[in-house]
Amino acid sequence: MILEMSCVRVLGPIEQLQPVLGTVQDLGLIHLIEPAKSGPLQPLYLTPEQARHVRGVQRVAKDVHAALALLDQTPPHYGPMAEDFTLPKAALIAGRTRRHLEALRKQRQILEEERAMILKFRPFFSTFRKISESGLDLDTVRVFYLVLREGGEHEVRRVRVALREVLGDGFELMSQPSESGETAMLLAVPAEEGSRAETLLSEAGVQALSLPEKFEGQSVGATVHGMQARLEALPSDLEALDKERTRIANERGRDLAQIQAYVEDHLSTIEAMEKAAVTPRAFVLEGWIPSIAQADFEKRLERSFGDAVEVEALSSEEWSGDTTPVVLRNPRIFRPFEAITTMMPLPKYGTVDPTPFVAIFFPMFFGVTLGDIGYGALLGILSLVFRIRSQPNTTLRSVSEIGLGCSLFTIIFGFLYGELFGDLGHRIGLHPIIFNREEAFFPFLGLALALGVVHIVLGLFIGAVKMFRRNKRHALGRGMAGIMVILIVFALMAAFGMLPERFFTPMVITTLVALPILVIAEGVVAPVELVSTLGNILSYARIMAVGTASVMMAVVANRMTGAFGSVVVGVICALLFHLVNFVLGVFSPTIHMLRLHYVEFFGKFFSPGGSRYQPFRHWSPREDVNHERSG
Amino acid sequence: METVALYFSSALAVAIPALATGWAQSRIGPAAAATLAEKPEMSVTVVLLIAIPETVAILGFVVSVLILMQGGA
Repeated sequence: MILEMSCVRVLGPIEQLQPVLGTVQDLGLIHLIEPAKSGPLQPLYLTPEQARHVRGVQRVAKDVHAALALLDQTPPHYGPMAEDFTLPKAALIAGRTRRHLEALRKQRQILEEERAMILKFRPFFSTFRKISESGLDLDTVRVFYLVLREGGEHEVRRVRVALREVLGDGFELMSQPSESGETAMLLAVPAEEGSRAETLLSEAGVQALSLPEKFEGQSVGATVHGMQARLEALPSDLEALDKERTRIANERGRDLAQIQAYVEDHLSTIEAMEKAAVTPRAFVLEGWIPSIAQADFEKRLERSFGDAVEVEALSSEEWSGDTTPVVLRNPRIFRPFEAITTMMPLPKYGTVDPTPFVAIFFPMFFGVTLGDIGYGALLGILSLVFRIRSQPNTTLRSVSEIGLGCSLFTIIFGFLYGELFGDLGHRIGLHPIIFNREEAFFPFLGLALALGVVHIVLGLFIGAVKMFRRNKRHALGRGMAGIMVILIVFALMAAFGMLPERFFTPMVITTLVALPILVIAEGVVAPVELVSTLGNILSYARIMAVGTASVMMAVVANRMTGAFGSVVVGVICALLFHLVNFVLGVFSPTIHMLRLHYVEFFGKFFSPGGSRYQPFRHWSPREDVNHERSG
Repeated sequence: METVALYFSSALAVAIPALATGWAQSRIGPAAAATLAEKPEMSVTVVLLIAIPETVAILGFVVSVLILMQGGA
């Protein structure tokens, strides 16, 4: 459900603004808004000194964010800074740490680039021995380091022939395939032939590698030796940088966390001050607060400031629901499903929170689709593991709890279908209670469509109830559409012999009588929308389609055990196929059930556009998560 | 001959919508990937857009089963 909100106004003497903001921040309940600035009320302008101070705090915030990003960690929240920890000191620590970490990052980047460059020459390391053995004096000639990506010996021959045509015998070309499948070539030509050889190689499409700067002018032996030495030394250099970073994290992590909390709190106080309206002697703060917390809020301010500060609630005539922030508050069992609801934009204040309906129908539809004791138990175990390993109030915790709900319904429907890893249940004496999904396509289709009718009609009725206060005519139209869907379904059931035939004519006549009422209430497009609603119901056939596909794959997996001659091979194949089916069986229904909720169900009543409730409170590293929960 | 026609029509009933769905998703997929690269918060909309054409294949499957059942296969 959407929590009821109150709009409150806090008034007090201007010299009490700072202490009041401090208390309000401690309470963390009010979502501040800008009061209408009219008459003597003016915005609170910062003095030049205050503006300078704000710029200083912003600089520290920038430094501390950059430093923490470079540390690649979110340190735990250590609470506010100590008394002796002043802003200049915080600025010094944040700035120094940032610069130090940036220097480390730059050094690391240089070392990594060096390693990448040397690795390009790696194929030459193995040819080095061959060069030394050749007795060739390579120090007096120009040397080209070449790597052929493909072509191998054939390509080397082609290059050799091309070189011989131009240079005669005045060159030495050595080649050796490397472990990576490339061919390393070392070409030595007299220094005066260097430019001709370069042109020739370029024409032949063979690219020479450029030596790193520090190895230029060295002999081949010294170059390769030097590179090998650097390659061996680089990991320890990189490790030293990592150790230094870890040292900084241990030494400064706590300070940075405290500085971050301090500057974030400070900046949000400044933001709150900017939302205040003032007169030369008084201030006014306005904001939204959950109605259940209003009395506590008033009591706390009265205790702290006595009669100096006044809190008054604005009557609902003075505000509009469109700007009211939204807080979803559901019973504990429904709360994980807020993760599904909040993936969509928040519902508007004063409309319906679909979470309780999602909490009931989503796992149920999932269970109807997957419906297998074995898969349900597997999903339950996995969800339980994630539940234990996850932190409270995180998305993973919500997903694991949704998974537990889905697994429960999967096991229940598994019993009803008599399925344990497909038809394995039938072989061990498990019998279908409602129907066997391998054969009963029509009953399964009927069940899927019946669920669709219930879901859609419920959506229409929720829409009608929600709209009743604001627009009675539209509410009547929604309700009438719901009734007409039921009438059409009954008429169809009578036509197909599922209900006594005598029901058919009365149902059709009633539908025809209801049609003009629908058109009057909703307009001429209403019949088109009604047809679209019937199409929405047909969309629930996916429950049957995905469910049947899942059970059939499980049956195929079980048949594999006897299909390979060897029982062991058959069982392994069957297990693998079951695993694939399980993954598909969890993924596919999730996507389809989300779609059924978001498109078919929500489309009947959901009004997106609510704004998030963001109370003015102390900053915490889990702020984003908290916002998510409150929204 | 009737049995062949029955199975053939049933196969066509699911194959043609499945191809159409595949074609539609092949157009939506790259656009969805590009959208997510720039706006990760659009993930729900993207999932829905990709799932929408699947309705065609699913209804094709249902029709295919109906053909088989009505034909007495």
